[in-house]
Amino acid sequence: MPSFTEDRPRAGGALFAYLAGRVPAGAEVLIAGPHTDELIDAVAAHATVTCLVRSEPEANELDARGVTVLCGTLPKLEIAERYDVVVALDGLARLCSVEETQLDWNESLRALKRVLRPGGTLLLAVENELGVHRLVDPTTTTSAEIDSAWLPLGEFDTKPGNPTRLAGRLSAEGLAIDWLGAAWPVPEAPTLIATPNALQDGPADALAAVAAGAVGQAYADKPVLSDPRRLATAAVRGGLGPEFAAAWLVVAHRAPRPSAAIALPPVLAGDGPVVELAPGPDGAWMRRVLQEAPDRDLAVLNGPLPAGRLLEELLLAASLRHDLPILRRLLSGWNASQPTATADNVVVHNDTYAVLDPSVPAQTDVIRRFAQTLLSGGYAHPWPAATDLQTLTSVLHGAAGMPDDVPAVPAEDLPLPDSRREHEEQLRALRRQVADASSRAQWYERELNKRDKELRRSREKIALFSGTVTYRAAKIGLAAARKARNRLRKGLQ
Amino acid sequence: MHHANHFYGHAHILAEYCGLDREHPPRINGYLQHGWNVVDGLGAGTPYVPGRPIFVWSEQTRRRAWSMGRRQATVVGAPFLYLLTMRPEPVNSEPREGTIFYPFHGWEGQHIAGDHQRQVEEIMETEQGPVTFCLYWHEYRNDKVRADYERYGRVICHGYRGFQWRDTDIDFLDNQLAELRKHKRVASNRLSSAVFHGVAAGCEPAVYGDPMHLDQEDLPTADRVRRSWPELHGKHVDLPAARASALYELGAGYLASPSELRAMLGWTGYYTADPAESEDERTEVSA
Repeated sequence: MPSFTEDRPRAGGALFAYLAGRVPAGAEVLIAGPHTDELIDAVAAHATVTCLVRSEPEANELDARGVTVLCGTLPKLEIAERYDVVVALDGLARLCSVEETQLDWNESLRALKRVLRPGGTLLLAVENELGVHRLVDPTTTTSAEIDSAWLPLGEFDTKPGNPTRLAGRLSAEGLAIDWLGAAWPVPEAPTLIATPNALQDGPADALAAVAAGAVGQAYADKPVLSDPRRLATAAVRGGLGPEFAAAWLVVAHRAPRPSAAIALPPVLAGDGPVVELAPGPDGAWMRRVLQEAPDRDLAVLNGPLPAGRLLEELLLAASLRHDLPILRRLLSGWNASQPTATADNVVVHNDTYAVLDPSVPAQTDVIRRFAQTLLSGGYAHPWPAATDLQTLTSVLHGAAGMPDDVPAVPAEDLPLPDSRREHEEQLRALRRQVADASSRAQWYERELNKRDKELRRSREKIALFSGTVTYRAAKIGLAAARKARNRLRKGLQ
Repeated sequence: MHHANHFYGHAHILAEYCGLDREHPPRINGYLQHGWNVVDGLGAGTPYVPGRPIFVWSEQTRRRAWSMGRRQATVVGAPFLYLLTMRPEPVNSEPREGTIFYPFHGWEGQHIAGDHQRQVEEIMETEQGPVTFCLYWHEYRNDKVRADYERYGRVICHGYRGFQWRDTDIDFLDNQLAELRKHKRVASNRLSSAVFHGVAAGCEPAVYGDPMHLDQEDLPTADRVRRSWPELHGKHVDLPAARASALYELGAGYLASPSELRAMLGWTGYYTADPAESEDERTEVSA
């Protein structure tokens, strides 16, 4: 397509690059669809790469970088059994140009499979139309207006809707799955990939915490319908991780089984560095840095994965249950053991508070940040009358065993999550506060009237008494006494 | 906010607990539950101002308040429990004996109907040791009522709870605590704050006898109290069960730290008073 440039982000990121970089050395690789340069380079480092793209400007750029390029549309890819590996981590939706046949998901899969040699490997990503990223998306895919959306199918597409059906479709095409992972938080650049087994039998609470972190980072400052972190953790903790993941990734092979299969751990995480999570020999889950990142000290990450549930989730749950004793214990424990880590980076297991990602620099004002989460998220909590951040922070400080005098909230505070549902809740809360404030103002006015009447009555009484002979006599006597006292004082000096 | 916050010196106790001036507690930013009740924690007729918190004793009361449309209830626990944290039981105190009995009273505007004579006889039949009768202030000031009880035992009054911020006896609960600690048992013909306070102060509770219904009283509510707290009714109760139930009603385990309480009551930033006067400087009012 001569005058077209892809207008949505290309597939990439640290984890995709890491996955693609696992292809066997010396293999012939087709990278189908738009992928980032870093990913292409990671493959090209030890394999022969051909890229299939539909945008001519992008094809020219790749060509200029010395990459072999096929520019056009998937139906025209006529060579068969040519590649050892096909990388389609962008999915199958951006392989056809506007010209000629528009292949659906199955047809695209068949076309890609055809170019694989027997024993060849396919790396494929499939977006989940019911993934958390979709559920919180305020825009509608089916009415997209960007240039690339000439067929905005959204959930009306024919791609499989869950990992089991995906396996079935691949199998029907003669492709056997070697590894399948659920990817979070967005299909184009996941920062967490976990196998259904890991999500099912692994440390669900810690994985939910990692998922929340991954989602939180991806959606910081982005407009959403509701807080995606809660949906992600609820899904992972509730055993629905794969069903609500943003995408599924598969490593599949065409028979016979390849001699050099790609070996992958149960969980991969990272947005620059790459970390694997896997059970150690004793069954305890361990964390190991697979790929370093510049300017970050990651050695602290190697070792056991801290167990337990995310402190933020525990605090919210205790708040919703109005369980003050637990809430106070959590706040005090947090303040005593991890006072410089935010609640979304601490996991709690049997009164042990551990930092989930110790490579994150120390933070200040962590309790105020949680107060902000409570208020901006519209969560019920035991201090409903504390509707401003300063007061609630002060209460939480007290509950954590800290002084209740807290510094004023800085004018330039952290941005609130840009979530429609929370905005709605804040609007409702503000309306309620305004209504309460006006009825309170009326009450004060009534009280003031009552007091005014009392004051008037008292003044009348005073005026009445001031006119009596007794009062006058007392007044004269008092004046004389004062004079006498003053004279006496002068005499003494 | 409301003058009921000062009843029984509640606000004064909380101010002392918070390290503030006990004599002149700052205004509480909301409504403090001033007695045990089976509704939303507020007293009958309290002119509630929307948007202000209700500070209730127990989580159960908070849930009830919520279901009654009160959206701003916060559990703080009973002021009497805060008092207990500041007045630990003296190690060498006199051995406890007898029973302190609180004949059910209405408040100033209410009048009770029932056979006082029969009630006193039943008390004297039930209780083993000496009985102290603790009367509400308006009964205590009635010479006839007082004389009726004095024939059977010591008669006391803990003080005047106060009205419209005036004449509050801020030692009311201190007086009550001192009296409760002299007795083995606390009893009444109705389940009430005094019985709960008694349990917290280490007395064995008993609720029995003619409940002496008020004119125009809502009888289903009175019956519900008996049905819902059976462990606290009877001449001799199952002590561990009664104690657990009573402490739950008072909000034991829910007490806030001084700094949290200051922040909740709107007292953060107030002048911090010198430590409150010590126990032995207090004058005891026994009759």
